[in-house]
Amino acid sequence: MKYVFVLDESKCVACSACAVACMDQNDIDPLAGDIPFRAAFVDEQGPVEDPKFTFLSIACMHCENAPCMIACPTGCLKKDPETGFTVFDNTNCIGCHSCAMACPFAQPCFNDNSGKMTKCDGCVERVKRGMQPACVKVCPFGALSLVSESEYQELMRTDARKKISYKILD
Amino acid sequence: MRKFAIIGFGCAGYNGAKSLREHAPNVVIDVFDPSRRSPFNPMLSTYHAAGKLPYDAVFPFGSLEEICRALDLNYFSENVLEVTADRTIRTESDLYRNYDGILLATGADAMVPGSLRCSGNRWFTMRTLDDALALRQHLDTNQVRSAAVVGGSMVGIKVAELLHSEGVNVTIVDAASHLFPLAAYESTARFIQRQLENKGLGFRFDAKVTAIDEDGIAFADGSALQADLVCLCIGTRAGTRSFRNSSVQIGHAVVVNSHMETSVPGIYAAGDCCEGINLQTGKTAVIGLWANAAMQGACAGANMAGDHADCPGNILHNITRFFDMDFISLGDITLPGCKHLFDCPEFFVSLVMDGNTLQSVNVVGNYRVSGILKHHLVKQLTGGASTTFTPAQRGLLERNGLPREFIQLIGGSPNDRA
Ligand SMILES: Cc1cc2nc3c(=O)[nH]c(=O)nc-3n(C[C@H](O)[C@H](O)[C@H](O)COP(=O)(O)OP(=O)(O)OC[C@H]3O[C@@H](n4cnc5c(N)ncnc54)[C@H](O)[C@@H]3O)c2cc1C
Ligand code: SF4
Ligand code: SF4
Ligand code: SF4
Repeated sequence: MKYVFVLDESKCVACSACAVACMDQNDIDPLAGDIPFRAAFVDEQGPVEDPKFTFLSIACMHCENAPCMIACPTGCLKKDPETGFTVFDNTNCIGCHSCAMACPFAQPCFNDNSGKMTKCDGCVERVKRGMQPACVKVCPFGALSLVSESEYQELMRTDARKKISYKILD
Repeated sequence: MRKFAIIGFGCAGYNGAKSLREHAPNVVIDVFDPSRRSPFNPMLSTYHAAGKLPYDAVFPFGSLEEICRALDLNYFSENVLEVTADRTIRTESDLYRNYDGILLATGADAMVPGSLRCSGNRWFTMRTLDDALALRQHLDTNQVRSAAVVGGSMVGIKVAELLHSEGVNVTIVDAASHLFPLAAYESTARFIQRQLENKGLGFRFDAKVTAIDEDGIAFADGSALQADLVCLCIGTRAGTRSFRNSSVQIGHAVVVNSHMETSVPGIYAAGDCCEGINLQTGKTAVIGLWANAAMQGACAGANMAGDHADCPGNILHNITRFFDMDFISLGDITLPGCKHLFDCPEFFVSLVMDGNTLQSVNVVGNYRVSGILKHHLVKQLTGGASTTFTPAQRGLLERNGLPREFIQLIGGSPNDRA
């Protein structure tokens, strides 16, 4: 079954619980040069007297025709056939950063020491075992969810609320 | 049963064959390539020569046997010498075959100008796996203390890095006045040059090479540079020799439209042997990049099967990592406009804007902003969607070190707060 990450902006408060859960799940240690896979932040726009806030939590969007995958010269990035997540094996990664230039969401991360690419893999092993991705599970407001492709289509059809999906930058 | 030929089995040829098979499960696909190897990635040549990648890893799509089995391909390990307008090919072994469709995917060869006198066996080029193996073997069997890399190009800098890492004293030589003349503003190039000089590299610009021999290089002004080894990295020449009699339109390379069709019906081209549309100029140009070859090949394969796929074009873009430094170039640096710079201790972004339109960008030291800026530039040209940054893009650029005012300058909407 193919999945889509969905963020309900009206529920998100950018508390960063998701980002911390992800760091926990993936042993990410920023002090050791790791870059977190997920980031939550608030975008503030408009006049100071009437600001518009947008609350966001962003990680890999697991794009359908993933540009990072096409760009990788060594074939490190692949689509997991079961879940549709963009997964990786960085054994042959040469640290060329081609994936980073191809990604419209600034997602491929590099550890300063190893020079090898890492990124969100959709918590593929958890999902295959029937669990939720760590970031989704911990979200206290139910803002972040993982839905099947068909559920996603249904959501887009029926739910007028603002959602974030891999179409975020379209 | 319909029959198709893929001429050249690199990235473009492989993706063409894969896409053709996906769209047309029952057709015959003949592949011609003299290498007898799985599709090789030329950009890995320096990594393999440097010992950073094992042999198997330079073939990113797997072994030739696996690929031919999975895609049901007939592989002919020979050169195609001629393609004619009636879609007949002639090979080295005088095999003549007629096809319903042909994909030209012969890539490019390292350029060695006819006017350059090259003698001896200490000079190399860097494009094919054999080039990488030859350089490696030479380094392993000879004492190389000094080297000249001719061409301050992306390939040249990677070769320089490889030689420098082996303790060789390297001088980069170029007829242009600075490094990366097609991709870097002069100020960016000078900055990079200073960093590399600090690491011990030498440079000689405005220097036209006339001959390469056992002693090194001779220049047009009568001077010489002694070198134990010379590597020529002055660009590539599209592999179009075999198509001269085919009636396909050829400029610097085979000219294609956005469906990867050549001027001859049923003959398609993809990858470094063709010139697709440069979105910024609207003209055709060779954009010799791995991902470009993959997308063009996939598009051509689908259309050969009867689909209506589109490859709308691309912009000049490049990311190169060398000596622990990232250099990113986006867009045509010759386009006019007003120059802007954001500089901080960790990185800098330099760019040219023509009014509200982003024309070109140079970044040194920040790969993380490259993808968003590249997509912004492409989106600007392909139109349709808004060309201002979304809240997510703004936030990601800001988190990766760009100040609000600068983000606003590149892709702000009137409502944005700087
Ligand atoms: C050192 C180096 C560094 C690079 N760095 C980058 C980079 O950082 N980023 C990037 O995107 N790109 C980079 N590139 C460019 C990238 O590798 C190419 O754009 C891409 O591989 C082109 O693929 P292709 O399939 O068109 O051509 P090729 O890979 O050249 O394949 C062409 C194939 O056609 C075969 N052939 C040729 N003539 C005939 C004939 N007459 N009959 C049958 N077969 C024939 C050849 O044997 C070959 O196998 C680099 C290239 C080099 C050399
Ligand atoms: S890394 Fe970027 S390009 Fe690749 S799937 Fe994720 S969001 Fe898409
Ligand atoms: S940095 Fe690694 S994963 Fe990214 S494109 Fe290069 S080789 Fe592939
Ligand atoms: S799915 Fe897993 S890896 Fe991806 S952001 Fe969430 S916790 Fe991190």
